[in-house]
Amino acid sequence: MPLLAKIALPLLAASMLASAAQAQEGTITVYTSQPTDQMNAVIEAFNRDHPQIAVEVFRSGTTELMAKLQAEFAAGNPQADLLLIADSVAMTQLKNDGRLEPYADAPVDGLPEALVDPDRTFFGTKLITTGIVYNTDLVQTPPASWADLTAEGVASGVIMPSPLYSGAAVIHVGTMVQQPGFGWGYYEALADGGAVAGQGNGTVIEAVARGEKAYGIIIEYMALNAKANGSPVDFVFPQEGVSTITQPVAIVKGTDNREAAQAFVDWQLGRAAQEQSVAQGYFPVIAGVEPPAGYPAVADLTILPADTDRMLAEDQEIKMQFADLFGG
Amino acid sequence: MADIGISLGRAPLPGARRLPRPRGEALLLLGLALYVGLFSAFPLLRLLSEALGANAEGEFLGTLRESWSSRAVRRAFWNTLGASGAAVAVSALLGTALAFCVTLAPVRARVAATFLILSPLLIPSQITALAWIELFGSSSPLLAPLGLAPTPGTPNPLYSGTGIALLMGIEHMPFVFLAVRASLLAVPQDLIEAARIAGVRTGRVVSHILLPLALPAVLAGSILAFAAALGNFGVPALLGIPGRFPMLTTLIYQRLAGFGPSVMGQVASLSMILLAMAAAALCARGVLVRRLSVPIAGGQPLRPLLRGRAAVAAGLFVWGAILLTAVAPLLALVGASLVPAVGVRLSPETATLANYAATIGASGTVRRAFANSFQLSLGAAAAAVLIAIPLAYLCALRRSGPARLVQSIADMPFVVPGTVFALAMILVFLAPLPLLGVSIYGTATILFLAYAARFLPLVLRPTTSALEAVEPALDEAGRMLGARLFRRLAFIVAPVVAPAAVAGGLLVFMTAFNELTVSALLWSSGVETVGVMIFSLQYEGNSTGAAAISTLSVLFVLLLALLLDRLGRRLPPGTLPWRS
Repeated sequence: MPLLAKIALPLLAASMLASAAQAQEGTITVYTSQPTDQMNAVIEAFNRDHPQIAVEVFRSGTTELMAKLQAEFAAGNPQADLLLIADSVAMTQLKNDGRLEPYADAPVDGLPEALVDPDRTFFGTKLITTGIVYNTDLVQTPPASWADLTAEGVASGVIMPSPLYSGAAVIHVGTMVQQPGFGWGYYEALADGGAVAGQGNGTVIEAVARGEKAYGIIIEYMALNAKANGSPVDFVFPQEGVSTITQPVAIVKGTDNREAAQAFVDWQLGRAAQEQSVAQGYFPVIAGVEPPAGYPAVADLTILPADTDRMLAEDQEIKMQFADLFGG
Repeated sequence: MADIGISLGRAPLPGARRLPRPRGEALLLLGLALYVGLFSAFPLLRLLSEALGANAEGEFLGTLRESWSSRAVRRAFWNTLGASGAAVAVSALLGTALAFCVTLAPVRARVAATFLILSPLLIPSQITALAWIELFGSSSPLLAPLGLAPTPGTPNPLYSGTGIALLMGIEHMPFVFLAVRASLLAVPQDLIEAARIAGVRTGRVVSHILLPLALPAVLAGSILAFAAALGNFGVPALLGIPGRFPMLTTLIYQRLAGFGPSVMGQVASLSMILLAMAAAALCARGVLVRRLSVPIAGGQPLRPLLRGRAAVAAGLFVWGAILLTAVAPLLALVGASLVPAVGVRLSPETATLANYAATIGASGTVRRAFANSFQLSLGAAAAAVLIAIPLAYLCALRRSGPARLVQSIADMPFVVPGTVFALAMILVFLAPLPLLGVSIYGTATILFLAYAARFLPLVLRPTTSALEAVEPALDEAGRMLGARLFRRLAFIVAPVVAPAAVAGGLLVFMTAFNELTVSALLWSSGVETVGVMIFSLQYEGNSTGAAAISTLSVLFVLLLALLLDRLGRRLPPGTLPWRS
């Protein structure tokens, strides 16, 4: 019996390991709005922990990704196993359409409740805030507040991302128009003052870093990463507060590799991924991980309140109204 | 030999035409019609039915009427018309002047000069736009050290309708240049000698003989340039969106990216407006070319006739124009690829290869994009050549009416903007194929089919015009000797059109390699293309990385052209457009 046990136990263990390994292999496809070079680094790190899982990536702006997904759903042939896109409004819309697969056992301990969908279909992976970038060669007195951007001579130098492209901009505009102090009047003032809208956040950092525009409304890491690389820019967290997005991860219903997809979600919510996103310039979302150097503590941020249900209901309206003011 | 003479004598040519069309030919025509119908006509018809459908209220043509009543659409329409018109003026003046100077003056390094003049055809419009933005921006790597860059804080002067017209004009200039140069080279030297002997001075030869003879080519080339400007996406996207100068192509893209397939009808109706503009232009082209063309006898091709100061001035003009329009922006692009981050001035201390290391070295995606683009564009070029030769044969030599109809349908995917054609392909090929049960959407197949259909006219046009110059008796003789269709195609037609078809195929390869507009909507994970990578990086705010990939892809195309040029000495004359 002891002999039998000696032989059988390792075999049993080995077969269990083998079946576990078998489950977490193959190819998964991630649709994401995270920049290409960042996503490449993410996959490299993920593959160090999961060498058996090959990750394919499709990258585009969140709004365009949604358009692509809608087309694929219409074909009855969604290509994505996983989504890692900017905003929870888009995710909520997909969930309401029955496109997301619940993952009840996702490792959400340590994740703030606000980042987890109550139905466990999507999970925030980062905290990304929208604030103000300015060109340090052109601006002597940095703006301190959102209100400063509408001042005469300032508004004409402002560029912002358009919600027609960017998921972060969808949330930002949606949040700002819900604030009693701002509303659409704020955007009308910006438009009247000569502010322009580009495409995504990328066009904003390009224009400000090149010195074509003095000020930009932008997500923080893009500005701070450019600053770290030597571009003549700096970033301000406006005193009224910032809007936030959480870049949720979700599994698409009908995935042909559920185990590998769940492994990717697990990994995204784990410490290794969190530390990597800090290195890439994001605020972490789990306790005990420090934000990137030079960033305020998450607790010190003033976050503008936002009603995401209302934002979802008004999604088309917001985009149309924005397009009326800024073109497109 | 005697046999041929006898059979020709027995069956005069008009009689031969009355013979029933051979069955092989009918089958071939059917096959070609099916191919073009399925991959060119059907998608666009689907889009048309979408565009001309009723709106939500069920009004007749409601979608189109709703679009037309929108202020944004009408503004985009007038912007498109105005900028394209101004662009054509630039293309026509520059292209005609360059073609005359290159042909009539003993320009130094003519092959290199011709190649550089044609280079805008090889460089996709978003790279051109990116390069010019670098050139004219306040941190310009070329102008800033000279103190000529715009003051920081002022917007780049190119972000305007004028900037768009200028860039599109330069970009589409080769259409005019190629047409005019071909028409000049077709002028027999005898004609000039005759004029000379009659005592006509060089200036009058140019203004009273060559210019009128070249006029149809100027018009034909200009109208092609106009159609290209209507459908241009890269330039208006990079200059017009930040410059608040909406055009129809960018409006389509913006609406689609912002609202998804739910606005398909609206977007389709916008594309119909563009299509109507392009169709009107191309009809005008057909009429004008037929009215104005003068048949001229063959003979020794034209030799340079400018001497002395005129020749020096022409040479200076050619190389000056090349430096300004082709070399300077590319240098700016290379400069941008060497700075560590956007907005940093280029200097020996700041220059770095980090962008190359980050985009190529670290990323398997970018390497795969290069491999994908290579295979897709090679495949598309081969398919286009295989389709174009028999179709051109039926049109030009057999003068088949149905074949001409097929040919004009084959032109459509090239005339409509890439965005629109990609949409049409999605509409048709999204759902699983009827018999096979698999969807080609999201695979490399849909990109390949779209490239092959879209760029077919690039082979079809030169091939047809090459065959139109061929005496039909050659083929008739083959027929009467009993040579079967495929034998005639392989041994009579193919050798004659090989140079034109290969040149067209080459153009397809180089155009498709950097293609953006179609790929932007049809690419999928694993099937990235070079154009998409460049656009994505720029869009993400990483235009230094985009500049690095652009530089590499331009280098690749240039190297390829050099390699072909080496081989070109063994290829039939006319194969390489810059060697004519």
